[in-house]
Amino acid sequence: MKHWYDAIKEAQSVEKIEEIRISLFGKKGVLAAEFAKMKEASDEEKSKIAQELNINKNALMNELVQRKIVLQTLELQEHMKADAIDVSMFSSSSESGALHPVMETMDRIVEYFSSMNFAVKTGTMVEDDFNNFEALNLPKYHPARDMQDTFYFKDEMLLRTHTSPVQIRTMMSNKPPIRMIAPGAVFRRDYDITHTPMFHQVEGLLVDKEGTVSFANLKFILEDFLKYMFGDVEVRFRPSFFPFTEPSAEVDISCVFCKGSGCRVCSRTGWLEVLGCGIVDPNVFEAVKYQNVSGYAFGLGVERFAMLIHQIGDLRSLFEGDIKLLEQFR
Amino acid sequence: MIVTRSWLNEWIDISSISTDKLLKTLNSIGLEVDSIVTYKVPEKIVFGRVLECKKHPDADKLNICKVDIGSSTRQIVCGASNVRAGLDVVVATIGAVMPDGTLIKPVTLRGIESEGMICSAREIGLGDVSEGIIELDSSIGKYEIGQEVSQNAIFRDDVIEIELTANRGDCLSIRGVARDLSAAFDKPLRERKVQEDEDKRVGIGRILSLSHENNLDVNIRYKAVDFKNLTLPFIVKLRLSQVDDKKESDVESLMLYATHSSGVILRAYDYALFCVKDEPIAKISLSKDKNGFASIMSKDKKVSVVGVMQEESFKVAHSNGVVLIEATYIPPDIISKKMQENKIPTGLSYYRASRGSEPDLNQGLDYCISVIETNSESSVYGGTIEIDESHEDKIISLSKKEIDEIIGANIDKVKITKILKNLGFDTTKSSADSFVILVPRFRHDIVNKQDIVEEIVRLVGIDNIPSKPFTFTEANSFNDDYFNYKKRVTYRHKAAFSGFFESVHFVFDEKKILQEYGFETIVENKELLNPIVNTLDTLRTTLLCGLLRAASNNSKNGYASVKLFEVGSVFNSQREESLKMAFIFCGDKEAESLSNSGKPSKVDFALFAQKISNVIGEFELREYKTKHTLSHPYQCAEIFVANESVGEIFRLHPNVQESYDLDITYMCELDFNKLPCELKTAKQSSKYQASFRDLSIVMPKDMAYEKVKNIINASATKELIRFYIVDKYSDESLGENMSLSIRFVLQSFDKTLEEEEITNTMSTILEALKTDLGITIR
Repeated sequence: MKHWYDAIKEAQSVEKIEEIRISLFGKKGVLAAEFAKMKEASDEEKSKIAQELNINKNALMNELVQRKIVLQTLELQEHMKADAIDVSMFSSSSESGALHPVMETMDRIVEYFSSMNFAVKTGTMVEDDFNNFEALNLPKYHPARDMQDTFYFKDEMLLRTHTSPVQIRTMMSNKPPIRMIAPGAVFRRDYDITHTPMFHQVEGLLVDKEGTVSFANLKFILEDFLKYMFGDVEVRFRPSFFPFTEPSAEVDISCVFCKGSGCRVCSRTGWLEVLGCGIVDPNVFEAVKYQNVSGYAFGLGVERFAMLIHQIGDLRSLFEGDIKLLEQFR
Repeated sequence: MIVTRSWLNEWIDISSISTDKLLKTLNSIGLEVDSIVTYKVPEKIVFGRVLECKKHPDADKLNICKVDIGSSTRQIVCGASNVRAGLDVVVATIGAVMPDGTLIKPVTLRGIESEGMICSAREIGLGDVSEGIIELDSSIGKYEIGQEVSQNAIFRDDVIEIELTANRGDCLSIRGVARDLSAAFDKPLRERKVQEDEDKRVGIGRILSLSHENNLDVNIRYKAVDFKNLTLPFIVKLRLSQVDDKKESDVESLMLYATHSSGVILRAYDYALFCVKDEPIAKISLSKDKNGFASIMSKDKKVSVVGVMQEESFKVAHSNGVVLIEATYIPPDIISKKMQENKIPTGLSYYRASRGSEPDLNQGLDYCISVIETNSESSVYGGTIEIDESHEDKIISLSKKEIDEIIGANIDKVKITKILKNLGFDTTKSSADSFVILVPRFRHDIVNKQDIVEEIVRLVGIDNIPSKPFTFTEANSFNDDYFNYKKRVTYRHKAAFSGFFESVHFVFDEKKILQEYGFETIVENKELLNPIVNTLDTLRTTLLCGLLRAASNNSKNGYASVKLFEVGSVFNSQREESLKMAFIFCGDKEAESLSNSGKPSKVDFALFAQKISNVIGEFELREYKTKHTLSHPYQCAEIFVANESVGEIFRLHPNVQESYDLDITYMCELDFNKLPCELKTAKQSSKYQASFRDLSIVMPKDMAYEKVKNIINASATKELIRFYIVDKYSDESLGENMSLSIRFVLQSFDKTLEEEEITNTMSTILEALKTDLGITIR
């Protein structure tokens, strides 16, 4: 019997094990033959032989099963090895598209102000002179109109030069208090390396009872907002002028490229201008017939934010559906 | 507005303030610094005096000069035509390194030794100031021969360009900027008093009279000067070059200089221009021209328009004889309004006048006269001839509480008073709890309380106001616009995830192209008046053309597979705005990769429709005849969602495909507002097993499947859950017909369906197909 134990140990495949099993345990197998021999033995011997055979039978079966498990495991291992792939061949192969960086930036801006309880208002692109200029304290002869070269239509309508008319329309049709932002496309007649005839703005407006809305409130929300958008930056307010706010300020952040030490992007000043804001001019409230109110307003260019955040160099490439640029935002 | 440090110093003592502090202050008070250039003349360049000057024996254009450079006298050969004995000059001595890098060493020029160089302004880095070498004069202040030039403030100056906001006309002069700085630094402006020795002078009234119409809203004032030997001082030439004012005659240059310094609009006229033969007194008349502008007239000829321009031919070209110097002021809102009504050609002065020039005319005239008297032997006539239109004082009163509420901080009352006083506001009438403020005339931009608060805010410094959150009553801020925005975000995300890149195009398009492809265009009377370029001369009525151009560009850039989408506004012929969403898919269905052995198959209708379905959900396609010619006539469908048409899907017409250099292309445009955005509801599903049956029918190739679908839907029992095509087959034996395999899914809510019930349902369907369409089983 001993050589059968060796045979099992030496078996190298599951098939071989199966062969051995049949040779040992088959109807015409070795064990069957041995048990047959028992007929000739005496009764006394019979039980002894039977006992011995049964021990061997169980032991061999056990060996056989153990060996089979080992061989099966080895064979699976071999199979899997044959299926091995070079994973490095399959690095990044996304078939997904991507959101446009400007639109995605706008989404983030809207998300911030929505969470601060500002309502979203959109309005229309074709506007009239009253809502785009007159009501915003920009009468026809005002020198500040020079700042905004406007697209006009033959019927004296125009393409809005900012999203401020949305604020006027909102105030005309709603009672204070107002907390709103107006995201959307705006238009200026300017087309060169740093200007496109269409770009996007988000403007915000907060109006409440007289004496309740202060410049300090405006500072608070814009500082918080800019840190949300740009991370850990310094924020600086500079007095400025807009016809529809008074006092007005421009807001700078410390340059995100050189951290304020001065580089080409910030014209060596260490600061980047990102926002305009101010306390709403009383003439604007007068135009919409609001009384005994106070408010603040702010506005920003979304393209500028997107270009700074994502380090995009060419403004015009944003409007060309250029996959070279877009696929980087997957 | 360009200022220089030394020029500012004429009006306010800033000698103890560093340039860095000066720049920071300008920025913080709202005078944004655009750029700064610091001039510094290199070392070993000294003041010298030409003692002797004689012609070089062997060179016509060269002179041999003996030059005193303080420590010694040097022989220098000089090629400038204006070099002469007695002149004080700038000398680069041996060892000096010029701004362009040249090292000055002893040289021999045509046999004559030269130890140094007499310099022009350009050579020492000051730019184009004048022809030839610098001729020094007392205008640069005290200097000593031999002294390093860089020690003189004029030769190490900061030139600062300020980006002025449109309301700050009062800062369009050196004095105006100095006035703002005086409030920021709490330092007084320097007073410039001209000593008038009136008794000895001939009065201007003896030679000039002025007639005028009433109500012209103009202030005007004349001085007369008999010019004699005027030499324009070096400092005037230098500063005019620094502030980029164009070069004019000496008298005109003086006017520009005095105007830039004082903010008063100054002009000069030849006295003779107004003289009439045989009359002892010249006559100027001020009257309205045909456009309503106040104009200076001489014998019915228009010489100039107040605050707008002076005729080129009436400018003073010489520097001798009697010249009238005119100072004018016209309120900026009046001149801007007039210009809005009647556009006329403008000169340099209009910009200043329309933004608010300095109304204190004497102050400008005095500055101008003092420069003339110091630098020439001219005599000035006594007094002035003037018109002073009366004006109403602007008074604004407000309480400290109002100021604090707008700012959101408690500002010290004494500080407020000091700021306003330094800015030129008169607050002497204020009471204990309320400010009564008389606004100076030069601050036309200050009209209400908030304007006053702005002055306080900018001089207190916004950085010194602590931020404070706004306290509000909570309110639900969601509205339709917000939900639409959300919907847009959701759809854009879905489109990006199904493989499309979001693109944004201008809402402009080319009318010719839109018309060529049969899209509607905006009616003529509502069309753009002033398009920026021909190719963007109208508003788009479809997103498709923009996507097509973008796809074409990407394809030219080597992208074999282009998938783009856009959500954006389009306009109808009546210019009404609506939102659309459009897709384009051209070329390979996916990127080349291992899995497709580098040979991806092309996009087809089924794949494109599936991609669109990934974005907008379930839809039904119906046969469609499109109105435009971008579409392939036989691969084009109308998209229905819940039985409402929401847009179209089509293959690009082969001709268009070719003209845009594109591979096979599919496009889709949807009416965004019609796309569904309801929350989904779950349907109850059956617990019993579903059964599947396949049916292969034979139908004419040109019959629309839609017909088959309708018949099946109409004849089926409610146990038919859904059915869909799984195979399409045709061969010669079928001829004009084709075989379509349809899989039916049947299921009941109450029980597992018996074989008999299934067969019955299928038979009913078959019967209906046969009766209504003549379609049989294969």
